[in-house]
Amino acid sequence: VRDLCSLAVEAALAAGARYADARVVEIREQGVATKNGRVETAADSETAGIGVRVLVDGAWGFAADRRLGRDGVLAAAARACDFARAAPGGHKRELLPVEPARGRYTTPSERDPLSVPLDEKVELCLRAEAALRHPDVKIAVASVRARRERRVLVSSDGTEVEQELVECGGGVDALAVGNGISQLRSYPSAHGGSSAQAGWEYVQSLGLEREAPRVAEQAAALLRADPCPPALTTLVLDAEQTQLQVHESVGHPTELDRVYGTEAAYAGTSWVGPGDLGSLRYGSELMTVTADPTTPGGVGSFGFDDEGVPAARQPVIEGGVLTGFLSSRETAARLGALRGGSMRAEDWSRMPLVRMTNLHLEPGTGSFAKLLDGIDEGVYMETNRSWSIDDKRLSFQFGTQIAWEIRDGKLGRMLRDPTYAGVTPVFWGSLDGVAGPEEWRMYGLTNCGKGQPGQVAHVSHGASPTRFRNVQIGVSP
Amino acid sequence: VTSPLEVAGEAVALAEGDGAEAIVSSERSGLARFAGSEVHQPTLIEDLVVQLRVRRGGRAGVAIGNRTDREGLRELVRRAEAASAAVAPDPELPSLATPRPVPDAAGYDEQTAQLPADELARAAAPAIAGAGVFDAYGFVTSGATETAIASSVGMAVSQSRTDMTVLVLAAGDDASGYADATARAARELDPEAVGHEAAAKAARTRGAGDLEPGRYAAVLEPYAVAELVQTFAGMTFGALELLEERSFLSGRLGERLFDRKLSIADDALDPAGLPRAFDYEGSPKTRVALVDEGVARGVVWDRRTAMRAGAGHETTGHAPPPAASAWGPQATALVVAPGEAESTEELAELVGDGIYVTRVHYLGIVDPREGILTGTTRDGTFRIRGGAIAEPHVNLRFTISMPELLAEIPGLTRRRKLVNQSDFYGSRDAVAALVPALATASFTITGSGARPGL
Repeated sequence: VRDLCSLAVEAALAAGARYADARVVEIREQGVATKNGRVETAADSETAGIGVRVLVDGAWGFAADRRLGRDGVLAAAARACDFARAAPGGHKRELLPVEPARGRYTTPSERDPLSVPLDEKVELCLRAEAALRHPDVKIAVASVRARRERRVLVSSDGTEVEQELVECGGGVDALAVGNGISQLRSYPSAHGGSSAQAGWEYVQSLGLEREAPRVAEQAAALLRADPCPPALTTLVLDAEQTQLQVHESVGHPTELDRVYGTEAAYAGTSWVGPGDLGSLRYGSELMTVTADPTTPGGVGSFGFDDEGVPAARQPVIEGGVLTGFLSSRETAARLGALRGGSMRAEDWSRMPLVRMTNLHLEPGTGSFAKLLDGIDEGVYMETNRSWSIDDKRLSFQFGTQIAWEIRDGKLGRMLRDPTYAGVTPVFWGSLDGVAGPEEWRMYGLTNCGKGQPGQVAHVSHGASPTRFRNVQIGVSP
Repeated sequence: VTSPLEVAGEAVALAEGDGAEAIVSSERSGLARFAGSEVHQPTLIEDLVVQLRVRRGGRAGVAIGNRTDREGLRELVRRAEAASAAVAPDPELPSLATPRPVPDAAGYDEQTAQLPADELARAAAPAIAGAGVFDAYGFVTSGATETAIASSVGMAVSQSRTDMTVLVLAAGDDASGYADATARAARELDPEAVGHEAAAKAARTRGAGDLEPGRYAAVLEPYAVAELVQTFAGMTFGALELLEERSFLSGRLGERLFDRKLSIADDALDPAGLPRAFDYEGSPKTRVALVDEGVARGVVWDRRTAMRAGAGHETTGHAPPPAASAWGPQATALVVAPGEAESTEELAELVGDGIYVTRVHYLGIVDPREGILTGTTRDGTFRIRGGAIAEPHVNLRFTISMPELLAEIPGLTRRRKLVNQSDFYGSRDAVAALVPALATASFTITGSGARPGL
């Protein structure tokens, strides 16, 4: 495989490229899902191919081919160069010089999730899903997944790295239907559960079967709960919703390609400018956010990004002030600061983009109970249900699956259909409590979309529960 | 083995057990993405993916791969058989589809299929030039795909399709406008005209102001209509949503739920769309009336949901690929019937006082069963005063009930537009909606967002 990559790079250079890299990616993935006692999905996927990226006269070309042989590799290199030569524009793209990277990285794991027999995975799902049974629960779903990526990258700068990333995850969902409404509860996270770069021990540690009865009970109870009323109030978010808030309102707007406008037509740009580095007050002093592709277990972890930049922890927000961006070699060179290190492609058929890796809200102090102390009236919301944010990542509206009133520092009655809305710097500026390390949890998302053509990235976020003042809740048509 | 149908037949022949079906999807595509009037993110793809479903004693397992040499297909069969052996017999597993004649669907254009890499790159130039004084952001993309299905009960169908989309956001620091165009053949598109449309819109967005939250009448351009109706369809017009009581139509089929002017169908055979002859079970595509003059008429079905529902239900030709079976059948060739208005300006006259929305952004599903969505407007939001399009507004956050939005429709345009609905995630499977512009009496603004522009 390494020789094929070298062949592609040499062919691109011979065709006039000033820079070239070639990436072979093989991805094996298994997914099992059960629904109401029957197996909904039992699938085993394995795909591979090569992506060749070139710079010709300052213009990018990228071509990908599934044929991992001489013909496919040479065809990809030629097509990438043909495209770059014809691409409209002024094209003066430069890459930040880096030391050529050489090395190997493998996810530490105890039990290879792909070596776990499929029937064991099916059994786990059926047991967890059986524990979701409840008279009001009409749809019970349990799912697990296992994945291994092998990536080989060779560049004309002399980089040669190999990586093997192992990932798995799972979750349960209960949909209760009654009283003319439906209500969903999920564990450990919404939208397909949570994943980690780890062995099968991670899935076993989730305790899906153990948590399922609570999930089902809450889904059923929501059918009889009062709607969350509109109010301007104190809002406490659980770690799961907090990490999605970080993802949408901190992660995406600090991607330096968005800041420079290259995502404008699709995902949008950013309310943050390149000149804001080091001075912009993003939120309150309690807000510290770190990008860390070295986090053990993070699904955004790696040894090297897809430009061969070694993984390193980088601050993004410190004490509420913007001190970093997520960047690539090209965007870092343009800014004249930072080091790149956040370039990731979904697979062999996509060009690397600036992506989140693992982006964490650093913990504060104290317990969840301490966070509720002193709140006369407020609402506590848990587990994401819906999300929407504008093209500059300013105006957002989120919904969660469940909420409870807070009265005199204690949780009170359950509320259904909770939503809250805000504007990014105002919202983060109102942050006045972050629970401590003992409440900090990390979640692995596998559905972060960006780019044209679209690419899905896997990213992890860690967070503790948070408290915000004067937040608009209960938005409805 | 060269053609997708031959690959599918070979995979099926290698499988043992009670039966097998193989879906082979080939893709040769290119996307020239540009920003700041320069192409910055090209993607040229050559791929061929085999999805093999093997059955054994009422059990089914799926394997997916893109190696098509004999050894690669053998490995695929081995993994599919292992997957089927791991599951219990499924009483809801329908038998393999028996071959049926599939309709003609003229979805292929040779010239588009053969577009070389350098010509695709050059095709971005007129789109960029059309943006004029503004910088252009967007893409030009074309793709040729072939889907072939073979099974152990004699299914052997294949169809080649092409598609092309030009999308332009014309933008400056304080202004932005949007346009896109989609067709099955490159010669049907005028990239420069798309750039012009986006630029003309952008020029009117400077000096945008806030708007008080509240309920407004609105004129929605086809771009906004397509995305709103497509999202609503995804949670409403599929049989699985109906059977699981997650759909707004659950318990309401046959009722008049919407304005009489509203008729929506799913029609993959409409020659004005991106025609498709059969679904991922090989069942022929059929036109399905979803809403007929305001009355909820039906949803789309595949063989699994039809069998589960019983009572004479049959597939309508809407089976998803095996890898997406959990989503159930989906309406992805939406056609909204036209109205009588000659233009969006005429719709503004009908509305009198309200807002004008070019495009919506980042829709979030707040309550799927009630059809409640939130999102923001983008790249061309204006006030309508005295029946005319007036001053620009910042991007506005809305939280809307789609059933309410569609309950009172002052008018729709006679002219319709094919609007791309693909973000091109995963393997290429171009979909688009054929929709008019629409005026509604109810569009609820719940906040203000960013200004137009970068």
